[in-house]
Amino acid sequence: MNTNTTPTSLRAKSVPRGDRPASFVVDPAAARRQVWYELASGATGLALALFMWGHMFLVGSILTGEKGFNWVAHMLEEYFIAQPTVAAVLVLFIVHAVMAARKVPGQLKERKVMRDLGRDLNAYGKGFPGMARGDERFQPHVESMLWIWQVRTGMIILVLASFHLILLASNVFEATMQGGLAIDATRTLARVQGGLWMLYAVLLVCVEFHASVGLYRLAIKWGFGARLGRHTLHRIEQVLLWLFLGLGVVVLAVLAGWLPAPLEFLLKG
Amino acid sequence: MAENIKTARILKFDIFRYNPAEPDKPPYMQRFEVEEAPYMSLFLALNQIREEQDSSLQFDFVCRSAVCGSCGMMVNGRPALGCQTLTADLPEVIALHPLPTFALIGDLSVDTGRWFRSMVDRVNGWIERETEFDRASIEAPMDNATADKIYEADRCIECGCCVAGCAVANVRPDFLGATGLNRIARFMMDPRDQRSEQSWFEVVSDSEGVFGCIGMMACDDVCPKDLPLLEVYSYVRRKAVASLFSSGEDHPARREAEKA
Repeated sequence: MNTNTTPTSLRAKSVPRGDRPASFVVDPAAARRQVWYELASGATGLALALFMWGHMFLVGSILTGEKGFNWVAHMLEEYFIAQPTVAAVLVLFIVHAVMAARKVPGQLKERKVMRDLGRDLNAYGKGFPGMARGDERFQPHVESMLWIWQVRTGMIILVLASFHLILLASNVFEATMQGGLAIDATRTLARVQGGLWMLYAVLLVCVEFHASVGLYRLAIKWGFGARLGRHTLHRIEQVLLWLFLGLGVVVLAVLAGWLPAPLEFLLKG
Repeated sequence: MAENIKTARILKFDIFRYNPAEPDKPPYMQRFEVEEAPYMSLFLALNQIREEQDSSLQFDFVCRSAVCGSCGMMVNGRPALGCQTLTADLPEVIALHPLPTFALIGDLSVDTGRWFRSMVDRVNGWIERETEFDRASIEAPMDNATADKIYEADRCIECGCCVAGCAVANVRPDFLGATGLNRIARFMMDPRDQRSEQSWFEVVSDSEGVFGCIGMMACDDVCPKDLPLLEVYSYVRRKAVASLFSSGEDHPARREAEKA
């Protein structure tokens, strides 16, 4: 029954649906695996997002100057908190990448269909008389594009954070073997000011976007805060995004030497 | 609203034209101009075009009041019901395409029936009981809250807008879509249905079911009947996880049936 199909040359893309079997035989073991995959991708994402916020506060110790940063960094390494954390994050990172990527369509053609639909839904309503009146039905649908950006930022993070993680893990474990300390303000500042700030600036934007949108989608999927409604949840997501992005920009500016540490007076004397 | 229009706009309809019965004629966009009338819906405009300009234009309408679900179409790239959409809300240029994901009958007309029939067959969209139905006995009472929830899910008119607006359904022809999950949720909630959580699990949890969804929630935004599709989605997900940890014998209706 493939006679009534629309050529895909025009924008309306009709996927032909032939006659299908009356009932689908689903493999229960495969269905069971899907639940575990879904739980794994959500749980690792949640853990990584929360870790990134904690990470922001730890690196943020640079705002109190090199003394504060070193106090935090040395403590984490001396009490063997940093080493297992680095290893755990590396594992979570890989598991999350594999599990989350399983929903990204493999074919470029398919991703283009998704992108075109997302763009249309996102553009709808803009400049419409209905939207000018504030009619809710004419609010653009942004979330399909948000998801597409989630994939894009995810890919960037996969590359850049791999570099960062491998660099840090090799430093930390090398130092531990030799009985020394790896993370130190002088070394970190030299690295960031030596040009790595470019990498960390891109990573910062991608991670904050990816984490806040990811947490928002997790809330949607499992029904947390369902009473608040999507609109409010989206607002909360936006606030968190800009809050951590703003904090991150200040921290990065201090690390790059463009700003003096604003809280240095706290540890003076 | 429409009465605020000082001089009537000349609306420009760009309509997708293709007739599968004439496969040699490639699809194209045809422009029709219509003078806007107060409270004009797409239903009125399209009928006027067919009446006065081109009698070969194909589109579907039955009830004109957002109940039959046959006039779903892509309006400027977003799925909507033609009868429910007023031209006064839209810009001067209105692009109309048939709903994607469904087989095309011609121009704006698509075959949603075959899709929905196949979906209902797959999820066994009816009440299943192990005990024989006794027509003579009085129906067991249902509490109001449950009845309300079931009624809410039953308001679906099967127009296909949620499927057409769904990114996953646009690339995966077998994906159940929001309407499919809504159908499943409706029978999951129904105390008369005796299916175990385990048997539901097999229907909903595979990658063409609830875990194929990536949560963009376009369905929730475009649904012309404002069905609580977000609640349906998280409800079915939580049920699927719960069934992972259940023996499958704990459905209340089943327990009662065993007691009897």
